[in-house]
Amino acid sequence: MRAEELKGHLDALLLAALEGGPRHGYAVIEALRQNTGGRLDLPTGTIYPALRRLEQAGLITGAWSVVGGRRRREYRLTAAGTRALSGRRADWRDFSATVSAALEGRPWPSPA
Amino acid sequence: MAEPRLIRDYRAALSRQLPAPIAEEVAGGLTETYQACLRRDQAPDIAARSAIAEFGDPQLIVAEFTRASPARRAARRLLATGPAAGACWAAALVTSQAQAWPVPLAARVLLGLTLAAVVTMFTIAALGTRYQLAIRTALAGCVGITALDIAMITGVLLAAPAITWITAAAIAVSTARIIVSTRAVRPLLAR
Repeated sequence: MRAEELKGHLDALLLAALEGGPRHGYAVIEALRQNTGGRLDLPTGTIYPALRRLEQAGLITGAWSVVGGRRRREYRLTAAGTRALSGRRADWRDFSATVSAALEGRPWPSPA
Repeated sequence: MAEPRLIRDYRAALSRQLPAPIAEEVAGGLTETYQACLRRDQAPDIAARSAIAEFGDPQLIVAEFTRASPARRAARRLLATGPAAGACWAAALVTSQAQAWPVPLAARVLLGLTLAAVVTMFTIAALGTRYQLAIRTALAGCVGITALDIAMITGVLLAAPAITWITAAAIAVSTARIIVSTRAVRPLLAR
């Protein structure tokens, strides 16, 4: 999957990668790869500006730590980030169901 | 083990264009990417090329950081409020017949040039892809717009025979803009 196809979804993917606990940038990328079976083809470096943007928006917080003598910036979800992730998941399910129904010619599921 | 020259050059390119903490974080990620390539039994030079290909063009990364920078946010916000503030002042000056005020031509020209310089600075900060340039031009723009607003308020208070409600509104808009641009300076200095 190419980077252009992920436009608009990167923030939600990063939030989801941090849901399991704090991670530094490279670990976020590894988590994304693992969770998608390596199908995400993002220029790794572009993750870092996106993490900074999410931090400025208050959805994650970053703090420096030292691991193996090397400084790393670790990120964790804030309460606002957790809420934003829930919202993005709900939006995605709705969008995905709508597009799938349109593409596959299935009737829209009627409410129970 | 020393890193290959390709990796060192990439790190140097980041350090030249980004603030130290950001460059350090991204360079750390590049090192981890390189080490992951080494663990896949690649030779150091091949691992370096793979890591850089995986990481992406440094200019792209710098441009993304610039897009998310406080400089761009501040510049866009202040540019967006410019027409409204300008309209308020234009209305205030026209209705107060400012052309008859005893303001030297040099002062009028200086105000016009400062305004043009501020708009140019904010436009560069709002549209450019170079991080440090965006920070510097946004800072210059904030200082310039603050000076301009202070000069307008002071000039009107000294030269206008009476303060109309339109002039009072223009002063209020400029005061709000001074507060916004002053608050924008701290995050710019911190980056």
